[in-house]
Amino acid sequence: MYGDLGIKLVQHAKRTQNLAHLPPYQTELVRAVTREVRDLNKDVDDLLEPFQGSFDPSEDQAIAYTLLVNHISMRRNKRCLLAYHRTRTDKLEELVWNGVDVVDLSGQQVRDAGASRGSTGVASGDGSTSSLSPQEEDYVRQYGDLLAAYKGQWTDIDLTGSLEPPRDLFIDVRVLKDAGEIQTEYGAITLTKNSQFYVRQGDVERLIAQGYLQKLS
Amino acid sequence: MDIDDILREVDPASHGISLETRDLQALTRLWVAERSAPELLNWPADGLFERVNSKIKSQIERIEDMTGDMDPKTNFALIVIQTELERYKFLVRSYLRTRIAKIDKHTLHYLSTETLRQRLSPTELAYATRHQALLHNHYLSSFLSSFPQRLQNLNDTAGNVSMIDAPDLDTAVFVRLLRDKDVFGRGTDVDTILPAANGDVLILRWSSAKGLVEDGDAELV
Repeated sequence: MYGDLGIKLVQHAKRTQNLAHLPPYQTELVRAVTREVRDLNKDVDDLLEPFQGSFDPSEDQAIAYTLLVNHISMRRNKRCLLAYHRTRTDKLEELVWNGVDVVDLSGQQVRDAGASRGSTGVASGDGSTSSLSPQEEDYVRQYGDLLAAYKGQWTDIDLTGSLEPPRDLFIDVRVLKDAGEIQTEYGAITLTKNSQFYVRQGDVERLIAQGYLQKLS
Repeated sequence: MDIDDILREVDPASHGISLETRDLQALTRLWVAERSAPELLNWPADGLFERVNSKIKSQIERIEDMTGDMDPKTNFALIVIQTELERYKFLVRSYLRTRIAKIDKHTLHYLSTETLRQRLSPTELAYATRHQALLHNHYLSSFLSSFPQRLQNLNDTAGNVSMIDAPDLDTAVFVRLLRDKDVFGRGTDVDTILPAANGDVLILRWSSAKGLVEDGDAELV
């Protein structure tokens, strides 16, 4: 049935919206939908071929309707594909804004999944272990550059900083992972695991976002 | 020009303060308006952000100068200035992020006509153009390139359905009146004209409120 595959993609996209991580790219599905579009287009061309460009819809209504259905199905498939890809890129952009190393992250997810399923789970071998398509990895890299360029215009503001209105200049943080030594205006602090500090929020925002520190309220 | 204006011009301190305070107020207003309006508003053209930026820079330098001082009095002042600075930075950051979010959501819409492009700052325009190009390339390399030629556009309007998504201008917004005025509001069943006084807070469609806000008769809250 026309469009069955398209709706699957949309369902995947819908599911992705509510997930914290990015599920694997549906290479097969995308390819199948694209193939459907190409086949439909070929049908259209075959149907129109005998008329040599002098097709009159009112004379041959049956063919006209077939053409219409084919056209609409193609457009619908295209919209489904666009929606699927846009949802994923939105998600990726969000990750880039949050300062997550996306390529690293996707690799890690797959490794985690592989570990939980036992060593026999992932046998797909070399490059295809990422949940991103190669095109998406490219996109993330380029978007990261673009964002860095835009941020460069506002160096003093730190655009990717917290969007919570600041209440206190200093906050209590607990160290979750060893983060080494950081430099602040009040001297250097060594962040060792499980220790607690009273520090300036601006100094440690990055580390909180990366999960090294936890803010205590 | 009355006596206050003359005094203000003579006294450099009060003049300086009033400009800075005005900038801060302008920024806060812009921020509130941008956050509640459903569509992108105009980028302030009067160099507000250049002033804000240089202000932030000079405050940062001031803090660096004061840090060396161990006097408890300076220390206290330092904390006040730093808190102030963090808040200022938050305003700017939140404002810019709100705009970027709107631009990202309806990129093609804002790039489509010259009047809409005017609303973006030059850097935002560069960002939007590049972002759209990236997205298009991504679609092309992922699936669009194997599509038939006539289906490769992203801005089709065939079948009376435009592919370009535009923000919903009929979303409800809250506005506060800044002077007495009869407000015209478009309704679902019936349109109304409501006499409103200075300071009244109304809820109405953005499409009806837009004119009021642009003329300075009302502000978004």
